[in-house]
Amino acid sequence: MFLSTARVIKFSFQDIFRNIWLSLVTLIILILALFTVNMLLVVKVVGDTAVEAIKEKIDVNLFLKSSAKEEEILALKANLEKLSEVKEIEYISKADALERFKEKHSDNAQILDSLRELGTNPLTPTLVIKPTSLDDFDNLINRLNAIDNEIIESRNFANYKLILDKINGITKKVTDAALFLSSLFVFITLLVVYNSVRVTIYTHKQEITIMRLVGASRGFIQMPYLLSGIIYALLGVIAVALLFYPFLSLLQPYLEAFFVGYNVDLPAYFYGNIVLIFGTQFIGASLVNMIATLFAVRKYSRV
Amino acid sequence: MIKCYNVIKMYPRNYQALQGVNLHIRPGEFVSIVGQSGSGKTTLVKTLIGEEKITHGKIVIGGWDITNIGQREIPVLRRQIGVIFQDFKLLNKKTLFENVSFAMQVCGGSPSKIRKIVPHVMKIVGLEQKMHRYPQEISGGEQQRVAIARALVHRPKILLADEPTGNLDSINANEIIELLLRINKFGTTVILVTHNREIVNSLRRRVITIEGGKAINDQAIGKYIL
Repeated sequence: MFLSTARVIKFSFQDIFRNIWLSLVTLIILILALFTVNMLLVVKVVGDTAVEAIKEKIDVNLFLKSSAKEEEILALKANLEKLSEVKEIEYISKADALERFKEKHSDNAQILDSLRELGTNPLTPTLVIKPTSLDDFDNLINRLNAIDNEIIESRNFANYKLILDKINGITKKVTDAALFLSSLFVFITLLVVYNSVRVTIYTHKQEITIMRLVGASRGFIQMPYLLSGIIYALLGVIAVALLFYPFLSLLQPYLEAFFVGYNVDLPAYFYGNIVLIFGTQFIGASLVNMIATLFAVRKYSRV
Repeated sequence: MIKCYNVIKMYPRNYQALQGVNLHIRPGEFVSIVGQSGSGKTTLVKTLIGEEKITHGKIVIGGWDITNIGQREIPVLRRQIGVIFQDFKLLNKKTLFENVSFAMQVCGGSPSKIRKIVPHVMKIVGLEQKMHRYPQEISGGEQQRVAIARALVHRPKILLADEPTGNLDSINANEIIELLLRINKFGTTVILVTHNREIVNSLRRRVITIEGGKAINDQAIGKYIL
């Protein structure tokens, strides 16, 4: 048993090194395939971040009466913050609301003139409520509707529901499309790797036939090639990991500039999930290599 | 040692390569199987090593009926018959030593046994000085001698040589035949499949003539009659 294992390992390494150019080509194809898979993962992470960024923008404005006292408003805010559906609440006073309005329309002289004409601040204090999760949005609306407090000016949340449904619909379609495209690319990548291994075994066709004619069993012939497939997968994953981190580090500043205020740390994400990401790729690549090897060697050893 | 009873081999589209071959080869014999190209000689060799399954008949080798041999048993059969091919069939990415020792490794031979036997066999074929060369670094005659060494290394009772001199010049061809005769002297049954008239006539050994897929002649001290 030990002798057979030692022979399998020896033959496998012999095959890799004595066919070094073929081995390098196979390895390069595998590295490119794994790089593609990792790029898809990057696109997914960035995409998820973009979707979350959009969803985070969604909040509910609770407009309060102009006559509401500061302490009443703060008391209401404190009560609402206790709700599990509420993530955080920002209190915008009448004065703050006016300042923000003026800033927003600073290049619109007509609006500013109209405001000056009014003489008073028409805006009302507002509580801007961020939900914990958009899935709980309906519950949050129901809870807000159930609050009995006389300082609340209006509670018309119908528009929010409409906008939210639209956003959810769009993000779901984007996610589904991304999933479909990713699956398609992963499938194509697997096919490329599978065929690359088959071609590699094809170049050994004569050798396999000779081994079979000399009396080698199919298992004796297959095992070194199966081990070679695992070695290629291991080397490929290591190479991709070593190439990908510098690539991500180069990409990171651009992502941070694009997603200002959001935490998009790709190197950290990959590092934090290194075992899962590269472990899965190693297992996947090994499996594809082994399946391709098994079928190809079986075909050429039918002598 | 080898018995063929009415062996028939049909290929698709009703092509009959062997049409009822009957022969009996005894242990220790040196037999030449001769015939023109396309007569069925190589097909007969293929059936003897399990490369082709016969359509009808029976083949018994060393008491083992291999007529319906399974895929898993074929390697076992081939380890018991030494085979030499016209195109040598050496593994180009292995040294001569590794090519010969491969035949022992497939049988599970230990490294110590391999280190002892392989150099001895290489010496018999006169290539002990070139053990660590690769096949492409030696001549055709030398490659065929390595193939013979590989065929001999697990001491088969039968040595089957399918056109071993087909790709060689006359000098190298004679050397190979001399080697086969020496091997036969040690008790190994040698079956030489050839269409070389001069070699067959010079051997003065048993000759079975195959023509049209049938054994049409069998002479104890035979000649090439076609």
